[in-house]
Amino acid sequence: MSSLKGKPDEDIKIGVYVCHCGHNIASTVNVEEVAQHAKGLENVSVARDYLYMCSSKGQNLIRQDIMQLGINRVVVAACSPRLYEQTFQNVLRESGLNPYLLQIANIREQCAWCHEHGPLATEKANRLVSGAIKRVIHHSSIEEQTVPIFPATLVIGGGIAGIQAALEIANSQQIVYLVEREPSIGGHMAQFDKTFPTLDCSACILTPKMNEVARSPYIRLMTYSEVVDVSGYVGNFTVKVRRKARYIDEDKCVGCGICIEKCPWSTDSEFDADLGLRKAVYTPFPQAIPNIPVIDRERCVYFLKGKCKACEKFCEAQAVNFQQEDLYIDLQVGAIIVATGYDVFDPTPISQYGYGNLPNVFTSLEFERLCSPSGPTAGQLKLADGREPKSLAVVHCVGSRDQNFNAYCSRVCCMHSLKYSHLFKEKTGGEVYQIYIDMRCAGKAYEEFYERVQGEHVNFIRGKLASITPDMSDSVDEEKLVLTCEDTLLGNIINVTVDMVVLGVALKPRSDSEKVAQILRLGRSRDGFFMERHPKLDPVATMSEGIFIVGCCQGPKDIPDTVAQASAAAARALAMVVRGKMDTGAITASIDENICSACKVCSALCPYGAIFFDETSNVSRVNRILCKGCNVCGAACPSGAISTRNFSETQILAEIEGVLV
Amino acid sequence: MSFEPKIVAFLCNWCSYAGADLAGVSRAKCAPNVMSIRLMCSGGLEPAFVLKAFKEGADGVLVCGCNLGDCHYIDGNYKTLMRMTLLKKLTRQLGIEEPRIRLQWVCASCAEDFVSAVNKITEDVRALGPYRQNKVEVGSGSAIS
Amino acid sequence: MVALTLFKEAADMIREAGGEKLDNCYQCGLCTGSCPWNQVRSFMVRRLIHQAQLGVIDFESDDLWLCTTCRNCVQRCPRGVEIIDIMRAARRVITETGTSKIPDSLRLAITNIAGAGNPLGQPPEERGDWATSLKLKHHVNSYTLYFSCCIPAYEPKVKRVAMATAQILKVAGVDFNILADKENCCGESVRKAGDENLFRSLANKNLEAFSEAGVKQILVSSPHCYHSFKNEYSKLGAEFEVLHMVQYLAQLISDEKLTFKKEVKKKVAYHDSCYLARHNAIYDEPRQILKSIPGIEIVEMSDIKDNTLCCGGGGGRIWMDTKKDERFSDLRIQQALDAGADVLAVSCPYCMLNFEDSLLGFSDTKPIEIKDVVELICEGLS
Ligand SMILES: Cc1cc2nc3c(=O)[nH]c(=O)nc-3n(C[C@H](O)[C@H](O)[C@H](O)COP(=O)(O)OP(=O)(O)OC[C@H]3O[C@@H](n4cnc5c(N)ncnc54)[C@H](O)[C@@H]3O)c2cc1C
Ligand code: SF4
Ligand code: SF4
Ligand code: SF4
Ligand code: SF4
Ligand code: FES
Repeated sequence: MSSLKGKPDEDIKIGVYVCHCGHNIASTVNVEEVAQHAKGLENVSVARDYLYMCSSKGQNLIRQDIMQLGINRVVVAACSPRLYEQTFQNVLRESGLNPYLLQIANIREQCAWCHEHGPLATEKANRLVSGAIKRVIHHSSIEEQTVPIFPATLVIGGGIAGIQAALEIANSQQIVYLVEREPSIGGHMAQFDKTFPTLDCSACILTPKMNEVARSPYIRLMTYSEVVDVSGYVGNFTVKVRRKARYIDEDKCVGCGICIEKCPWSTDSEFDADLGLRKAVYTPFPQAIPNIPVIDRERCVYFLKGKCKACEKFCEAQAVNFQQEDLYIDLQVGAIIVATGYDVFDPTPISQYGYGNLPNVFTSLEFERLCSPSGPTAGQLKLADGREPKSLAVVHCVGSRDQNFNAYCSRVCCMHSLKYSHLFKEKTGGEVYQIYIDMRCAGKAYEEFYERVQGEHVNFIRGKLASITPDMSDSVDEEKLVLTCEDTLLGNIINVTVDMVVLGVALKPRSDSEKVAQILRLGRSRDGFFMERHPKLDPVATMSEGIFIVGCCQGPKDIPDTVAQASAAAARALAMVVRGKMDTGAITASIDENICSACKVCSALCPYGAIFFDETSNVSRVNRILCKGCNVCGAACPSGAISTRNFSETQILAEIEGVLV
Repeated sequence: MSFEPKIVAFLCNWCSYAGADLAGVSRAKCAPNVMSIRLMCSGGLEPAFVLKAFKEGADGVLVCGCNLGDCHYIDGNYKTLMRMTLLKKLTRQLGIEEPRIRLQWVCASCAEDFVSAVNKITEDVRALGPYRQNKVEVGSGSAIS
Repeated sequence: MVALTLFKEAADMIREAGGEKLDNCYQCGLCTGSCPWNQVRSFMVRRLIHQAQLGVIDFESDDLWLCTTCRNCVQRCPRGVEIIDIMRAARRVITETGTSKIPDSLRLAITNIAGAGNPLGQPPEERGDWATSLKLKHHVNSYTLYFSCCIPAYEPKVKRVAMATAQILKVAGVDFNILADKENCCGESVRKAGDENLFRSLANKNLEAFSEAGVKQILVSSPHCYHSFKNEYSKLGAEFEVLHMVQYLAQLISDEKLTFKKEVKKKVAYHDSCYLARHNAIYDEPRQILKSIPGIEIVEMSDIKDNTLCCGGGGGRIWMDTKKDERFSDLRIQQALDAGADVLAVSCPYCMLNFEDSLLGFSDTKPIEIKDVVELICEGLS
């Protein structure tokens, strides 16, 4: 028989303990014979059988042998290692032995329980025990490492997702940096009037949370700011943030708003989906947090023409500062939560819907602003010519569920469309048509909301809208729109004539999500949203350890799901930050520098990006914090330079020899 | 004495080992000819392990991993799939008959899949008779990526 | 209620033609809503697709012969269903198995093409007669071939298109050739009408003639010839460049090989043909040409480019009878009138034929002129 190289030179003394497990093992396998067989094998100092090895008496047997006989390797032949491996590891630890000098032979689940009583079952048990004995000879101590976790978390994006995550962490009295690109936090939710299915006023439930962010001593809020670079890894990220010049000193500004009032120049308000106006110095909306304006360089007449400074003149706090420049600051954090949200789909390319040409065709987001009491029409529904609309059509799936645009379902549109039906009825009492393909109202109290809106005499037409055309019939002097589609339930073409159309546009990945993914080393799924580590079992973590994704940047979802995800990610980040340190797994790969041929096969295969190439010494190295010990790299390394602790090639080959003798 | 095949099974820790345990827990009976060796992931299976088994006198080798898409390490089993295809080419050249090597995905609740894979390979190998390795000298084999 | 005819094999043929995408149809009805037929009569495209999914097509139904293959539905279908392929497959089943009757007018055209190489049943040896007065080169070896299409070659109302084209090419000094009696119908519409075998044999005859003449470049007047040469013959091993006249002439004009001498004082609406615009994304070149002719003012109709309104002539419909009040071409002429056009410009012989026919039905003797783009070029040159 070939002997294996690399056997440690120390004097190996193995203790073997065969468990009866009451009758569980002993009724099928002749355990005394197994112990007897083990006794005769190389390096075995003692072999015993006992009724219940997992009992404290059984554990004591091992302890005594270690102390008294100087046993330095342990084999337990008992139930599955998935059950009691840790228990026996602790026995070793308590007796002063490294816990990894243990090997379990599974003679219960994978032997006694699945075979008939007889010599074959005992023979198999013997083989499994021999395998374990041969293997354990090659075990060596593994020191678990701990790495410090920097006790701060970065949250990128201040929509409802980011706000919730930041508050959860702050409530545990941990430091959070909240970086928001816009002048105020709030995200899309701040733009809504009411929220489905409860129809509570969006501002009423959001504003208190925004204020809490502003008040929290644990949250460092940075608005009008962007993350431009991230380096390092879990526990110790270095983040570079660009704080765009506001031209208003945040420390001096008291939020009186006189600058806004006095500024003579107006432009389209992004917050109002370009339906209303804002000044060149502005806060996006009255409840903005922080309540500190920014001067829009692109619109400010002083910046464009060198003259004006009206705001500066009137600001009593002397907060206006045209000399301000962008500031770059470095943050150190242990974990990162990404909450950058979504963009809405621009329906212009669907030319047959006439968006952009027909003034009374709106997007859902525009309709939200029209409904909002703080919106451009103070919550009154108005057509382009100022009339109140008497009829509305809400079109579902615009840019969603359509492989020409986005193949996925945007999940919230059926529900917000129902919301619009209700709001329109409430505000005008007019006629409403829902043009839908399928109603998808899965969520708590959602189906009930659907039923309620049906009860409000809304017309439901099942079909995908083909076209919107201006009404050419001579009888009308007011401008009307004709919608054409097949009602697939009737099997008839239907023409619906209305005053106003709302297109339920898709939720899309942010236009800069590719760039953000690069900065954070995140993957993106085929639809362009950030990719989670596991679609079912780990939907908030990512392939980058220590970086989590929440809310719509991971995929379209409603507010309840967004908030739940945000809390989940906060818990995950807290679990790391609060402990202050992280154990690296024991079972990790290591690369023998003397053998590594610098081919980089391993780093390309590692699912966790745990292998870095060290340019200076021209070898690949494993980051033990990121490695999860799958040995995919080890199996592929053409030089045989990689070995995974506790699952090394030598150990497995020895086990193979053992089970086959 | 009748021929009792010796078969080595390589099981990933997360799904297939759990599935094999479940076979025992549910007292499903299977052929006692298969000895399991636990790996963290089927993707960590070195081709040398399979060759070594045949060299040491195994008559067959069973490799089990999680269902495709369910690997604990994301896509380790896709790597297994590729590697096994290459390995099978090599073992064919070495004169190891096709049925002696079997790849089977076994999920953590798929005890029956494990039991039937064990029984199937045992019967196949029993029908083929003992593997005589001296047809070709099997080296320890270099890794195949 | 008419019982549905269930032929397992026929249904399988259609499913196969529809490919995997057929299963993906989620019955949204956008195809029905986009189909021009529903502006004049009911045609439930979606329901046909569902019947194809389930394998319960009613082969007796006239509906199977309606589709003009205009591609409006295919272009918009959110699930990428190849609706035209499914229509074609259903017709193929009828043609090949005799499951039900082929419309008489279509059958006549197909018989003519099979016998004489053209749908009108005219003698093949007269195919080149339109060019007699122009003294063109006939089947000598030539790099460039002008392939006129059957309609301009024989149909008195459309002959002027072939002649204008040849004249322009001569003015520009292009060295080209025609094959006259060696040509056969390209077979594009034959294929869409379901006669795959006839299409193959036409294609083989043409490919042989092309390679005998050493042709490397083919100029065509018809978008249908363009489509089949470019996208279908190429799969049968063709290796030549195909250009529609509007592409070739736009290039000649921008290279200043053609210079205009006369103003053409007209308001022109350009009608995008389905096969240039939707099937092959060619809509800029004809507009470039019109823009370069001095005096022409381009006016646009409501449905243009990707959203163009079909003339009704594709998919073999050009040979079938269409009821008087069900003609898309009538609607299109009305659109041109609404846009204030004096001329409705086309670049497809089928469109021209359909529009000329439609004009006969207008009470006004000549509310609008129908002209091919090449005719307008000629006017600007002389
Ligand atoms: C028209 C419409 C109506 C809706 N109505 C409802 C409803 O009634 N009820 C309901 O439950 N759901 C509704 N939803 C869904 C709801 O909008 C989302 O669930 C929710 O807004 C998701 O929050 P978020 O924080 O993930 O994203 P967002 O609200 O998009 O917030 C993301 C934030 O991140 C910031 N940001 C983006 N990129 C960066 C960057 N690179 N750096 C820094 N900051 C960045 C953005 O400025 C923004 O503030 C509706 C959706 C739409 C489109
Ligand atoms: S006037 Fe001055 S203090 Fe008041 S909001 Fe403007 S910048 Fe701030
Ligand atoms: S063992 Fe797996 S996780 Fe660890 S470095 Fe190798 S491939 Fe990466
Ligand atoms: S448009 Fe496409 S998905 Fe919709 S019914 Fe027609 S074939 Fe089906
Ligand atoms: S191709 Fe044109 S005519 Fe045919 S079904 Fe589609 S839309 Fe109708
Ligand atoms: S963990 Fe089971 S195959 Fe990877």
